[in-house]
Amino acid sequence: MRSPLHQGGVEIDKEWLGKWREYFLAHYDEARVGDKVAEAAEFTRQYINEGLVSVSGGKDSMAMLHIITSRVKRNIHVFHWDHGPYLIPREVEQEILENLFKVAPYAYIHIWKYRYGWSEKARTEWRPWYSEFFKTLEELTRRLRARYHLLGVRADESSRREARGRVVERRSWIEVHPIYHFTWRDIWAYIFKHNVPVPRVYYAYAKLLGWDRVRLVTFFDREFEKYGSTTLDSILMWRHRNLETSRETRLQATTPRTKERGFQQQ
Amino acid sequence: MENLEVVFHLSSPVSLGFPWVFFDSLLAHVMLREELGEKYYSLPTKIPVKEIPKPPVKYYHDVPVASVSIFEPQGPLQVFGYFKRGDFPFPRGRISRGSGFFKDFYLKAVYIPAQRARFYCTGELSEVKRLVSKVPALGKDRNIGFGFVKLVEVKETPFEYGLVRDGLAMRPIPVKYLKYYEDSAYLAYKPPYWARESVELCAVPFTRVELR
Repeated sequence: MRSPLHQGGVEIDKEWLGKWREYFLAHYDEARVGDKVAEAAEFTRQYINEGLVSVSGGKDSMAMLHIITSRVKRNIHVFHWDHGPYLIPREVEQEILENLFKVAPYAYIHIWKYRYGWSEKARTEWRPWYSEFFKTLEELTRRLRARYHLLGVRADESSRREARGRVVERRSWIEVHPIYHFTWRDIWAYIFKHNVPVPRVYYAYAKLLGWDRVRLVTFFDREFEKYGSTTLDSILMWRHRNLETSRETRLQATTPRTKERGFQQQ
Repeated sequence: MENLEVVFHLSSPVSLGFPWVFFDSLLAHVMLREELGEKYYSLPTKIPVKEIPKPPVKYYHDVPVASVSIFEPQGPLQVFGYFKRGDFPFPRGRISRGSGFFKDFYLKAVYIPAQRARFYCTGELSEVKRLVSKVPALGKDRNIGFGFVKLVEVKETPFEYGLVRDGLAMRPIPVKYLKYYEDSAYLAYKPPYWARESVELCAVPFTRVELR
């Protein structure tokens, strides 16, 4: 009567994962991923001193962060955006933060919070997200006097991203994509080769969707309904669909914007 | 009221939008469709229907004695992707593909390749029999062929299994009605299952519980 489904989704099939691990490790050597990594590190070197590394906690940004901290520079500025409990369950966010500190222990980690993420409306009204995110990024860029934003964008992801190019000039900063030439196989190969920590939800979703299609996006977000993401979330992350609507949670939703600025771990 | 076991024999896999299908909500759905007739298909979207008919089942406090679905055989989940992406001639002029008639989508249907869906409840045999005979398909995406019902069997059982069976919760039960529970989560435990008002801290289906 019971099945992994009833446990709440994030159940990892170790045998299945072991087989894929072998495949990706073979790919690392065959596709010369090491050369791509060296090239990405060399490319990043010219931008890192005036750069801010944006990390969502997903596989691409974690691989990028690992390449930078292990091969280029350790005491970098890292920006992470906390979407709030309604969009990213706290367990996943906790895991992301732990992974960040593991991969970049000497970095200056700036964690800023999304004001509406503590309200249920964040799942249906996604427009404020864009304005607030870019405002935050602009403010942080100004404070740190950063010129470059390093992002884990890959050409392989979509034709639109491919058309963006590796270095893009924006209004207030220059966007740099160190792992632009990596494919999804290269990313997973790098992650398995160097044991880069990524959220466990990846493995639950990858088993169902496939390694090429799995992405870490906000959960139960109506913005991604047209991709069927909400259906998947309701099945795999059903435990997080309803949150406790206690007085404390409601209060948090109405309190003014809170930020953890310039969090630094030495 | 009799203790019943309802088995739906399926001719196609069941697509799901949540790990379980609730039997009482299935009955309520049929009753509402009977009540509203053709109007059922043009329900208001801004003000959702909150007056949902009460299915003919027993209640333990306010919890319907009707189990969630048990799919047999229990196989792994699968995904079926289907899309609409400009595969028809567009009219001349500017059109929006982000919303409206020409909206593109790439949806995913998560399905279980099950052969049977079993439910338990305590209710009026004749009424339950009549209502389940009006269920042509189970689950989500029935319009594209998922969850077609081949045959329905309604049998009487010696004991009441709609709430608890062999110490396992057969549906979400609020923890306030329990003496002991193994696992809990915020779940809807009474119809309408989509409403926030129905959500409470409940024992998770198929985990060990003891009623007060």
